[in-house]
Amino acid sequence: MKLFEHQAKALFEGANIPVPNRAVIKNRSELDDAISQVGLPCVIKAQVLHGGRGKAGLIKVAEEKEEAKEKVTDVIERAENTPDLLIEEAVAIANEFYVSMTADPSTGSVMMMGSAEGGIDIEEVARTMPEKIIKTNVNVNEGLLPYQAREFLFDLGIEKKMIGQGTKLLLNLYDVYRKHDAELVEINPLMVTEEGNFVAGDGKITIDDNALFRHPQFSLTREHFDDDVQYAAAIEGIPYLQFSGDIGLMCAGAGLTNAVYDLVNDHGGSVASYLEFGGPNYHKAVKSMELIMQNEIKVLLVVTFGTIARADVMAQGLVDAIKEHKPEFPIVTAIRGTGEEAAHDILRDFGLEPLSDTEEAVKKAIKLTGGVPTQ
Amino acid sequence: MSIILDEQTRVLVQGITGNEGRFWTQHMMDCGTNVVAGVTPGKEGQMVRDVPVFHTVKRATATMDVDASLLFVPPQLAKDAVLEALNAGIKKIVVLCDGIPLHDTLQMRKSAQMAGAMVIGGNTSGIISMGKAMMGFFPYWLDRVYKPGRIGIMTRSGSLTNEVTSELVKAGFGASSLVGIGGDSVPLTRFAEVLPLFENDPDTDAVVIIGELGGTMEEEVAEAMENGIFTKPVISFLGGRTAPKGKKMGHAGAIITAGKGTVEDKIAALNEAGAYVAKKPSMVGELLKDVFVKQNN
Repeated sequence: MKLFEHQAKALFEGANIPVPNRAVIKNRSELDDAISQVGLPCVIKAQVLHGGRGKAGLIKVAEEKEEAKEKVTDVIERAENTPDLLIEEAVAIANEFYVSMTADPSTGSVMMMGSAEGGIDIEEVARTMPEKIIKTNVNVNEGLLPYQAREFLFDLGIEKKMIGQGTKLLLNLYDVYRKHDAELVEINPLMVTEEGNFVAGDGKITIDDNALFRHPQFSLTREHFDDDVQYAAAIEGIPYLQFSGDIGLMCAGAGLTNAVYDLVNDHGGSVASYLEFGGPNYHKAVKSMELIMQNEIKVLLVVTFGTIARADVMAQGLVDAIKEHKPEFPIVTAIRGTGEEAAHDILRDFGLEPLSDTEEAVKKAIKLTGGVPTQ
Repeated sequence: MSIILDEQTRVLVQGITGNEGRFWTQHMMDCGTNVVAGVTPGKEGQMVRDVPVFHTVKRATATMDVDASLLFVPPQLAKDAVLEALNAGIKKIVVLCDGIPLHDTLQMRKSAQMAGAMVIGGNTSGIISMGKAMMGFFPYWLDRVYKPGRIGIMTRSGSLTNEVTSELVKAGFGASSLVGIGGDSVPLTRFAEVLPLFENDPDTDAVVIIGELGGTMEEEVAEAMENGIFTKPVISFLGGRTAPKGKKMGHAGAIITAGKGTVEDKIAALNEAGAYVAKKPSMVGELLKDVFVKQNN
């Protein structure tokens, strides 16, 4: 779960990481108070979760109060929904860096990354100038050690007099990463002020969804999703993605769903929605159908091959879902695995043809959309 | 032979008295697994079938020899249970549950490395040495899906594995051992760490790898082949070839980030190293046939 910048900065502040003076406002009427708190010039930043805010015109600097009012209106108009705004003191910057902490799957360590190219797209730097990225692996059972932070900072080219301050900042950032079960903590840019102090210019934190039970203060909101259906699916714990094609996929098992997704594309079809109701969700066919029907699809393709996710339970669930929601689109099924014989009887009795071969099912679904399967 | 697990392996089941633990312990014993003990705090003295239950892992290992532990515990308790097994000196551990917190995984992986132990999972169906023993849950009773044979299998997926193994059986092949690496972004054991075991197994002639988008595990397999660490034929199928960037495709580990983890890159690396890549599950059997025809000529 991604946190908004203002949430990330609140966590930074709580961990003694320097952040600019700031205030969060919900609309223009709160601007005056915010400005008297942070001063002028100020920066107006839309609190949205996607990147590229600068390019999208969602971050503006204002020198005067009137200008700030105009720019607040402008930012609100450019943003899609009405986001909160962060009003922040404009910091005079001498230099900018990049630092982040994330998990390195291959070593199982925490990877601390830094670059003297602050404020930039780190993925771009990683691709084009990988030598400009400094990396340090941290063993979670030892934690980040001060010497590692010092090494890292010297390698980044940080001035000698700022090493002590930088070490504290990195140790504190590591605490944020660990304490809040973060997948990612990132400061980009990490600003150096003209007075020679570090300040976090931006803040990105992603909390591990699997650890949210330890952090009940954070909860998913509608703002975390592109549309209502994806939000509803997430609340239900059902993986769901939406595309612009013809075929709705309601499959069990992430790997199998991905393979079916490829087969549909390979055979010249197109996917409208991706819904995975395997694992703990295999008895949620009725709810899954309800979600599927909120997107326009021409055909529903149900492919499963479960062990614990029993075929007969899923077949019965599908039948119940059809009875309850009465979808008008045709449905193609290849439901297999534990209990598959009983599953096929259930489907046949209801008038659905039970297929056993995934490719055959994919081709049939494409034909039903009016297409001609290739290969 | 087989890898990691056979009918001799003395298996402990942590969480044996829960519904799933009890149900699959029966199946594991039915297919030949040597389950010697179970653990559920507070349930010592009970029996599951004829298997004694202990309060703690240490109390079990003090009474009998244990080679491996299988965990039927919820993800919130996985770290505690894995560390309990590691600290009792168990060197092979399989943790099945989906949803283990990332930071718990990082800690477990470091602790396993320190202990020189192999912890497999999470988010996996476990491992099975066909016709001998199983730690986890596979529909081994479905003849058209699982048959003993000479092909090693490693996978990041559950249902897709059933799909691919059924194609393998259709083509006349069977499996030696199957290792479910699991679908998490940080698997506790990686493909490349299992490869040397298959290399040294005289009963495995080739390895099928069922991978997908995200991460670098498939690239590491290619590296192991290029470095001569693995010399047997590798056939792979990778899901999510046409997946869009930046979307989490079901599994936590199935996401393309920073341009890394595309199936395209994985296919290129595997082809470069001499592996065969099946475009769809049904091609896995055909490719295996080709490999063995070539070898015999």
